Order: sequence, then C-alpha cells, then structure tokens
Amino acid sequence: MTSHVGLMLLFSGFVSLVFALLMKDDVAEQMRFGAALFAGFVAAGLALGWLMFAFPL
Amino acid sequence: MARRQPASTETNGAALVCAMAWAVPGAGHLWLGRMQKGIAFLVALPLMYGIGLWLEGQIFSFDLSQPLVALAALADLGIGVPYFIARMLGIGDGRVVSVTYEYGNSFLVVAGLLNTLVVLDAYDIALGRK
Repeated sequence: MTSHVGLMLLFSGFVSLVFALLMKDDVAEQMRFGAALFAGFVAAGLALGWLMFAFPL
Repeated sequence: MARRQPASTETNGAALVCAMAWAVPGAGHLWLGRMQKGIAFLVALPLMYGIGLWLEGQIFSFDLSQPLVALAALADLGIGVPYFIARMLGIGDGRVVSVTYEYGNSFLVVAGLLNTLVVLDAYDIALGRK
C-alpha cells in the first residue's frame, strides 16, 4: 500500500487516533472526535489535491 | 482526605513519568493507570515510526548548519527508544530517490512529535491537572 491516497488515509488515521485519545477521555467522545478529525483530514487532503491539480505549483 | 505530596516530590515523580513516556511511547499513561490510552499509544506510535522506516524515510542527523534538518532530527528523537533501536540496526538512512521517501519522513517526524504531545499529556496527568 504505497499509493498517495492510501498513505494519506493511513497517516490521517494515526494522527486522528492519537489526537482523539489526547483530547477526550470518554470512549464514545473519542470515537466521534476521531472520526470527525479523520474525515476533516481526508476532505482537506482531497480538496488540496484537486486544487493543486487545477493550479500546479 | 488524602494528604497532598510536597511539590518537589510531585514534580520529581512527574519528571520520571515524562522520562518513561518519552522512552517508551505510552509507558507514562500505563504507569498512571490509563491503560486504554497507554496501550493505544504503545501500539500506534512505534507502528507509525516503523511504517516511516519501511517507506524508506530518513532519520535525520543533528546538523546545526541546517536548522530545518536539526529540527527534523529533534522531532525524530521524540519517539524515544525506537529511535535508538533504528540507529543501532543501521536503518533509517533514507533513500532519496524512493517515491515514498517524503512520506516516510512525514511518518517519522510526526510520530516523534505526537509522542512529545503524549509526554506532555502524561505530565499533566501526573500533576493532577487532568
């Protein structure tokens, strides 16, 4: 699994997991917060990817 | 009502917890009885570091003539014992021409930085702030 999207998903998963555990104490809150973070990371990554496709550096 | 420990003893204990949390990701939380968090950190952070090495990322050396490289080296060191194991095994030299080189660097640096946050969290717990 060395595709750009795959690695982005993996990276987002790790960072979301650690942030969720650090920020929240209740398991249900950790799940909600972690899922929201993960979705935010992935959405931002895809949006920036398409933006760079339209406006390459 | 439990008697509060003197401030210096409390700070020494917190410093010891920080040292443990830095050396072995999650060890500080495990020591403080936060089992769920400790086990998750113990698994996730070394795994993230290992994936960074597998992706042929580089463990940077401390080169003060290049400040950004020195900062990356400091971030790499944040993971604790896995850093020294990788150094002893001679892995983490990085392969610049590899397509995953930059991804590997990101995984290595961020794993170290996340463990630094985990250390600070353990410190706060040890001092009773959380």
